[in-house]
Amino acid sequence: MAPPAQSQRSPSPSQPSGKGEVSDLKSQLRQLAGSRAPGIDDSKRELFKKVISYMTVGIDVSSLFGEMVMCSATSDIVLKKMCYLYVGNYAKVNPDLALLTINFLQRDCKDEDPMIRGLALRSLCSLRVANLVEYLVGPLGSGLKDNNNYVRTVAVMGVLKLYHISASTCVDADFPAMLKHSMLNDSDAQVVANCLSALQEIWSSEASSSEEASREREALLSKPVVYYFLNRIKEFSEWAQCLVLELVGKYVPSETSEIFDIMNLLEDRLQHANGAVVLATIKVFLQLTLSMTDVHQQVYERIKAPLLTLVSSGSPEQSYAVLSHLHLLVMRAPFIFSSDYKHFYCQYNEPSYVKKLKLEMLTAVANESNTYEIVTELCEYAANVDIPIARESIRAVGKIALQQYDVNAIVDRLLQFLEMEKDYVTAEALVLVKDLLRKYPQWSQDCIAVVGNISSKNIQEPKAKAALIWMLGEYSQDMHDAPYILESLIENWEDEHSAEVRLHLLTAVMKCFFKRPPETQKALGAALAAGLADFHQDVHDRALFYYRLLQYNVSVAQRVVDPPKQAVSVFADTQSSEIKDRIFDEFNSLSVVYQKPSYMFTDKEHRGPFEFSDELGHLSIGAESTGHASQSSLAIDDLLGLGLPVAPAPAPSPPLLKLNSKAVLDPGTFQQKWRQLPISLSQEYSVSPRGVAALTAPQALLRHMQGHSIHCIASGGQSPNYKFFFFAQKAEESSTFLVECIINTSSAKAQIKIKADDQSASEAFSTLFQSALSEFGLP
Amino acid sequence: MPVAASAIYFLNLRGDVLINRLYRDDVGGNMVDAFRVHIMQTKELGTCPVRHIGGCSFFYMRISNVYIVIVVSSNANVACAFKFVVEAVALFKSYFGGAFDEDAIRNNFVLIYELLDEIMDFGYPQNLSPEILKLYITQEGVRSPFSSKPTDKPVPNATLQVTGAVGWRREGLVYKKNEVFLDIVESVNLLMSSKGSVLRCDVTGKILMKCFLSGMPDLKLGLNDKIGLEKESQIKSRPTKSGKTIELDDVTFHQCVNLTRFNSEKTVSFVPPDGEFELMKYRITEGVNLPFRVLPTIKELGRTRMEVNVKVKSVFGAKMFALGVVIKIPVPKQTAKTSFQVTSGRAKYNAAIDCLVWKIRKFPGQTEPTMSAEVELISTMAEKKSWTRPPIQMEFQVPMFTASGLRVRFLKVWEKSGYNTVEWVRYITKAGSYEIRC
Repeated sequence: MAPPAQSQRSPSPSQPSGKGEVSDLKSQLRQLAGSRAPGIDDSKRELFKKVISYMTVGIDVSSLFGEMVMCSATSDIVLKKMCYLYVGNYAKVNPDLALLTINFLQRDCKDEDPMIRGLALRSLCSLRVANLVEYLVGPLGSGLKDNNNYVRTVAVMGVLKLYHISASTCVDADFPAMLKHSMLNDSDAQVVANCLSALQEIWSSEASSSEEASREREALLSKPVVYYFLNRIKEFSEWAQCLVLELVGKYVPSETSEIFDIMNLLEDRLQHANGAVVLATIKVFLQLTLSMTDVHQQVYERIKAPLLTLVSSGSPEQSYAVLSHLHLLVMRAPFIFSSDYKHFYCQYNEPSYVKKLKLEMLTAVANESNTYEIVTELCEYAANVDIPIARESIRAVGKIALQQYDVNAIVDRLLQFLEMEKDYVTAEALVLVKDLLRKYPQWSQDCIAVVGNISSKNIQEPKAKAALIWMLGEYSQDMHDAPYILESLIENWEDEHSAEVRLHLLTAVMKCFFKRPPETQKALGAALAAGLADFHQDVHDRALFYYRLLQYNVSVAQRVVDPPKQAVSVFADTQSSEIKDRIFDEFNSLSVVYQKPSYMFTDKEHRGPFEFSDELGHLSIGAESTGHASQSSLAIDDLLGLGLPVAPAPAPSPPLLKLNSKAVLDPGTFQQKWRQLPISLSQEYSVSPRGVAALTAPQALLRHMQGHSIHCIASGGQSPNYKFFFFAQKAEESSTFLVECIINTSSAKAQIKIKADDQSASEAFSTLFQSALSEFGLP
Repeated sequence: MPVAASAIYFLNLRGDVLINRLYRDDVGGNMVDAFRVHIMQTKELGTCPVRHIGGCSFFYMRISNVYIVIVVSSNANVACAFKFVVEAVALFKSYFGGAFDEDAIRNNFVLIYELLDEIMDFGYPQNLSPEILKLYITQEGVRSPFSSKPTDKPVPNATLQVTGAVGWRREGLVYKKNEVFLDIVESVNLLMSSKGSVLRCDVTGKILMKCFLSGMPDLKLGLNDKIGLEKESQIKSRPTKSGKTIELDDVTFHQCVNLTRFNSEKTVSFVPPDGEFELMKYRITEGVNLPFRVLPTIKELGRTRMEVNVKVKSVFGAKMFALGVVIKIPVPKQTAKTSFQVTSGRAKYNAAIDCLVWKIRKFPGQTEPTMSAEVELISTMAEKKSWTRPPIQMEFQVPMFTASGLRVRFLKVWEKSGYNTVEWVRYITKAGSYEIRC
């Protein structure tokens, strides 16, 4: 349950503030506590409900702890449950009071009614107070041996909870061994399943420190254990079946016959109504047959129908989860799905995350026989109201064109896009035509004719502009106007913001010059002059390079800049096959949805901050009282796992860098300095979760940084990407620091580039900046 | 780990927490803030139901006016998590009788906390079967805020039957009148090109049952599907009676169906849960009978006028009729004036969805009403050719008709006491996503 201190920040305005009500409740509870009048339970229930509802909306009702405990002496089960809920919520913040509840919980653990025994045991284990663990061992031990299965299921989970509170207590009491015994012998399937999940967690985390545990973990995947589970699989609930199937998926059979036995046994699971069970079964099948190519392919054929059914049933979210997996399989074996392409047609009302996956699959399954239909369908989407999807579909058409042999019809379609007179369609199509020409130079005549008609003024997107300019340069001999279009673009050099476009412009005008020197000479001169004066390093360098090359020898320059090109046969794949295989190994998990292996998103480095979030609340108070001493903020940073280079001595003499709190810098000077100065430091920090949460708009961070004498000159962006330019000045001298800071909130990373007049101080400034940033979002 | 959810939140559309249940300590209490800030308050909402923020993954679903958010910190099983949410919502609905929305949650939050405790322990899903849970949790849902009844029924000896051999059915049920209701509900999905060719068409069907049967009955269901009939004719070594056989592309069953028996004997046999449940789901792509054909002609007459003619043909039996037929024909945003002529039903222009909406309450088979409309547009300079004609969409229900042609051949009930049962079978076909491009 959320510690009240945190959720309290966000009660809705309509909620009562709570103070008066809480003291009212307190006195009412007192009155009821001792009473034994008939019907008293009903009024107690009403009161308890009020308490719980306050708790949910975030009002701190922990002051009622004593009264609640007094009232809990009842036989009414609903009352008990509410009381347990309350206790579980506040025990962690009130460990002393929690001790009060131990007594009655322990008594309830011995109640006659198994329901109450189970409930009490669950609540007892949910207190999560480290110094009370000694009271857990006894009840858990008898709970595991209870003759009622409900109590046993609860007890097994209780052991896992105990393990997370105090691993040593759990292991010392020999609970893992008891769980193992129940797992292999208990008659109740849910008990067995819970044992399995508990043991998997316990042994996985123990395995690093204890050899015995890692042996035990291996033993879970041994033949007898796996077969034991397989034989009981029908007894398990659908959720537990997922668990068991996950285990079976990791099992490596020693003989081929075993593989077929397992698959025969599990075949009917593919008809289960629960999509998660079906996916888990599919995983088992795929993993088992990895080394048997023929069978593996048959498995694909077999699982096709259930997967397609799952995609078309259930909520969009569920079908998205399945579709992500189908997507993975389609990418691995497109030919198997090529006759099912119609299943990947998008419906008008489908959410765009579903459409996007479908488009990618349509692209993948296109082959000689279905290309025409697929491309026709994709062209329908290009006129879609949903612009991102329209863009995606044009890209898809282009991808198909690049992977097909017969591109005739497709080129026509692409050229039609150029004539649709919609900015985004034209932009995407231009980029595609460029790629197409790199692969199929023979189409240049047809394409150039259409591209020549496009006015460069209508194209705003840098990528599309760059593509157009590339074509102008590459095919300047065929395009009548090429030198003049380039010339007019060069005239507007100052207005061209994208460095990419300016780079392309330089190269294109060079190429044009080699082909049509008299017409281009003037433009080339202007371009080189503009390039040399450019503030962007790359543009400047390239202009200088071209200039010197031309000075040295024009024909050499032509060989360098405009050599005869070979057609590109295969464009580089974006994801390595190793990564793809890793994702495939993690089938039926988040990896597939994110399309990246789990280590990329569950690494401790990312997770660290959240585990300390409670301590954080207390620490921040301490930090404030010590002012801005960088030592204390360093301590917080470290706890947060911010990935600071662990200073060997924790900064005995913190760099005494003082900043001028009233620094001023006008934007023009900033820009000039930014262009002139080299980058003296480039770093990546993690941003604390609180920082991420507080960064709703750029303005929030600006105010915060201003408090640290770091001023902002420009900011922008939308979640998840924000970009800031900051500056700061030293207190005594007029030495300036410039910072470019890009914060990505979804990865919780900040990329920092620092430029400084005095480069020796940039290290110290970086530390300061980082500590200022890490305090962002703290209350 | 299949799920090991760290927390579940129920939020309303403003982002207020209605219910929060933290199962594990590995995520902080402020995770819900991260959800609010980074998903609810940005354009991200609706772009993807699975999101990764600050080391945690968020799965969220919107159900009426409530967001249900599951937070996990590990590499969890997504399909399982979403299925869990769907099942949990179904469970809550069975407790508060139908609606699942913000009010229902506020009125029943204690009950929801109780249920959340039982259906998930330390992040692992436990038992979600309403039948069994009703033994643990005897509180009744509050159906409306003013009629909260006292719930002081004695707690029955609950835990005895939690996991018997038949986990989904209690023993000792008694009904005076033994009845079974079986509904075949099909939804037809169609995507037709502007030239009138079928691009994609399939039927997803489900068989819903409502059982009020005493004891532990064994049920057997026979359908006119191909596999079942072939198997039967093999066993009895005689040719099947003439008639249409249906090829099911794929079938999934409720957990009560004996899958081993289905695979060996091809009959659907099961011990049903008490009350309502979904027996099976299937999908068919071949030989679908489309109940309606839509023939649109849309002409743009200059920049400011359009002529829309739509003919809808019903191609099912003349004795049957469709109910609640709605045809939505998209028109450009700048529509100013419309005039209609219809041979049946009523038509009007709905500016909120930019559609001409033509409604026919009762639509007999083998008829073909038409609608013709003139649409006048406001002339604007900016709009060049940017009206991308969205598809025409259609809604309907056709009782006693199945687009797949599936029929129940027999439904047998066998119980050891040998009572008589009354069986009711109904068919209905609805429009799924029925789209005609124009």
